[in-house]
Amino acid sequence: MIEVEGLYYSYSNDDNFAVKDVSFKVAEGEIFGFLGPSGAGKSTTQGILTGLLQLQKGNASVAGYDIKNISRKMFNKIGMSFEQSNVYSKMTAKENLSFYSKLFDVETRDPMELINLVGLGGKENMRTGEFSKGMKHRLTFARSMINNPSMWFLDEPTTGLDPAIAADIKDIIKEHNNKGVTVFLTTHNMYIADELCDRVAFIINGEIRLIDSPKNLKLQYGKKLVEVEYGQDGNVKKETFSTILQEDKDLLNKIIADKEILTMHTKEATLEEIFIKVTGRGLA
Amino acid sequence: MMIKNIWIIFIRDIRVNTREFMTLYMMIIPLVLAVGINLLSPGINDTSVNFALVENENPEQAAYFDDFAHVELFSDQQRVEDRVRSRDDVVGILPKDNGYYIMTQGNESELVLEYAKLLNVLYESDVQLEDARSEIIEFGRTVPPLKKMLVNMLLLLISMLAGMLIAMNILEEKMDQTVSAINVTPTSRSAFILGKSFTGMFVALFSSIACLLITGFYNVNLGQAALVVFSSTILSLLIGFIQGINSDDAMEAAGSVKLMFLPMAGSIAGYEFVTGNWQIFFYWSPFYWAYRANDMILSKSGTWPRLILYIGIILAICGAVYTLLAPRIRKGLQ
Ligand SMILES: Nc1ncnc2c1ncn2[C@@H]1O[C@H](COP(=O)(O)OP(=O)(O)OP(=O)(O)O)[C@@H](O)[C@H]1O
Ligand SMILES: [Mg+2]
Repeated sequence: MIEVEGLYYSYSNDDNFAVKDVSFKVAEGEIFGFLGPSGAGKSTTQGILTGLLQLQKGNASVAGYDIKNISRKMFNKIGMSFEQSNVYSKMTAKENLSFYSKLFDVETRDPMELINLVGLGGKENMRTGEFSKGMKHRLTFARSMINNPSMWFLDEPTTGLDPAIAADIKDIIKEHNNKGVTVFLTTHNMYIADELCDRVAFIINGEIRLIDSPKNLKLQYGKKLVEVEYGQDGNVKKETFSTILQEDKDLLNKIIADKEILTMHTKEATLEEIFIKVTGRGLA
Repeated sequence: MMIKNIWIIFIRDIRVNTREFMTLYMMIIPLVLAVGINLLSPGINDTSVNFALVENENPEQAAYFDDFAHVELFSDQQRVEDRVRSRDDVVGILPKDNGYYIMTQGNESELVLEYAKLLNVLYESDVQLEDARSEIIEFGRTVPPLKKMLVNMLLLLISMLAGMLIAMNILEEKMDQTVSAINVTPTSRSAFILGKSFTGMFVALFSSIACLLITGFYNVNLGQAALVVFSSTILSLLIGFIQGINSDDAMEAAGSVKLMFLPMAGSIAGYEFVTGNWQIFFYWSPFYWAYRANDMILSKSGTWPRLILYIGIILAICGAVYTLLAPRIRKGLQ
C-alpha cells in the first residue's frame, strides 16, 4: 500500500534534513505505527506521502500512485487526520463535514453518522469556533473518514483527548482496520501503538532506527529487563537495565558491586521502555 | 469534476460571507452607496423626457413629440396642468394664441426645458425624425456629469471591495489552516483559486449591475458594463489573494487592499481633471482605463471597437501582474 525508498526532505532545501534516507513498506490491511520524539520527522514523512510537501529526493508510492506525480484521483482513496485540527471555525460541525464530503468523487459517509461516532452528537449545529480543542480534534478525525478511505493517515489522532475518548478512537481505528483499511499511524501514545500496530517504526532525528512488530520487540527485549532499586546517598533510586545491551550490563555490574541493592527483579518491557533502550531517548 | 468543486467552494464562501459582519458589509455597502447617490442627485437620472399634451388637440404634434420623448395625453388643459404639478420633469405643451407655450413646474432640470423648447421649434419648422435623430438623441440622453462620475467611482470601488472580500476569504482559510485539508481532496489548486475568484467576481458583477439599476442607468449597455467590471476586478482579485496570504488579521488584510485606493483615486482625478496630452501619464493604470471605459458606457457612447481596446489594455496589465504574482499565490496556498 505504501512503498518508500530513500526518502530525504529538507525544509531549507539544503543538507539540513528533517527526514533522512527513510525507507519502509506498509502492506495492505496493516496498521503501521510511526513512533518518535517530537521533531523526529513523523509529520514531515506523512506530509510527503499525502502530497502536502513536495517530494524532494527518493521514491514513494501510496495506494498505487506515484508521489512524484500525484494524480488528484489518489485523494479519493486516502484519508488524512491532521495533527493540528483544521476545520472552518465559522461553520458548524455538520456544515464542515458536508462541505468536505462534496469535494470527493466517490461515495461519502453521512456527516451525522460520523459526528455521532466521535461523540459529538448534539453539537452538530454548533460553530466549530466555539468547540474545545479536543472537540475540534475529534471532528478533524471524523472528517478523515468521510470518503471511505482505503489508506488512512492518522497524525496523532488521540493527542489531547481524555483517556476514555482516546480509547473510543482506538476502537474506531481497529474496527476500520478489520474491514481492510490500511492505517499509517503517528502517535506518542505507546499504549495505543502497542494495542493497534502490526508493526512499528522508531524514528529519531529524521532516521528510522528499527522496524518490527511490537510482539517481536517484546520477545527480543521481553524478560530481559531488570528493575533495580538501590540506595544512594540516603535516597532510594530505581533504574531499569537491559540484559542484552553491553553498556547496560556494565552499569548493572557496577551497581551490584558498589551499591546497596534493595530489590531487583526482571520485568516485561513496555514499548516505551524498548524505545528508550533502542534510541537512548524518551518519547515525550 | 473541476467545475463541481469550483462551484462548491464558491457556494461555501458566499454562505460564510453573509454570516460575518465585515464581509456582509463589503457586499452590501455598494448598494447603500448607490441609494445614497440617488438621494444626493435625484431627478438627474431622468434621461427620458416626459411631455403632457391635450388629447386630440393636435394629433400630428403629439405624434411628432412621441418620436423623441415620452408623451402622455390628457383630456383637457386642466388635467395637463395637474399632471405637470404632480411630478418632476413632466413638461406640459399647451396651445396659446397661434402657437404653443411650454408649461413647467419650475423645478425641472434645464436640460429638459431646453429639450422641450428645441422639440417645439423643430416641430414648427417641420424637421423630420430622419434629419434630426443623431443630434437630438445625443442631446436628450446626455447624462449629467456629477451622477455619472459618482456611479463610475462606485463601479471601481466595487471591484476593490471584491478584492477585499477575497483577502478575507483567504485569510479565513489561513487562520483555520483549512487549505491543507482541501489539498488532500481531489480538488486541484486551480479549482480552489478559481472557486475563490468566482466569489469575488460574482459579488462584483452582481453589485455593479444592481448599482446601475438602482441609480437609473438601466438604459446603458449592461453587457459592456459587465465586461469592464469583469476585467478590472481581475486585478483586485489578484491583489486580494496576495494580501490574504500575507496578512495575519482581518484589519490588516482590508487595510492593505485599501492601498489600491490611491492609484484608483489618482486615475479618476487624472481622467476628469487633467488635459488631453497629459493623460498619457495615467495609461499604466488599469483603473484609468476602466474609468474611461465606464464613462463611455454610462454616456451611452460606447462602441465595441473602443471598448475592446480598453478592455484589452486592462487585461494586458492584469496579465503582467498575474505573471508576477501567480507563483507567490500558488506557493502561499500550499
Ligand atoms: N514548516 C517547517 N519549516 C521548517 N522546519 C520544519 C517545519 N516543520 C517541521 N520542521 C522541522 O522538521 C523537523 C521534523 O518535524 P516534524 O514536524 O516532522 O516532527 P514530528 O516527528 O512530527 O514531531 P511532533 O511529534 O512534535 O509532531 C523538526 O526539526 C522541525 O523543526
Ligand atoms: Mg508531528
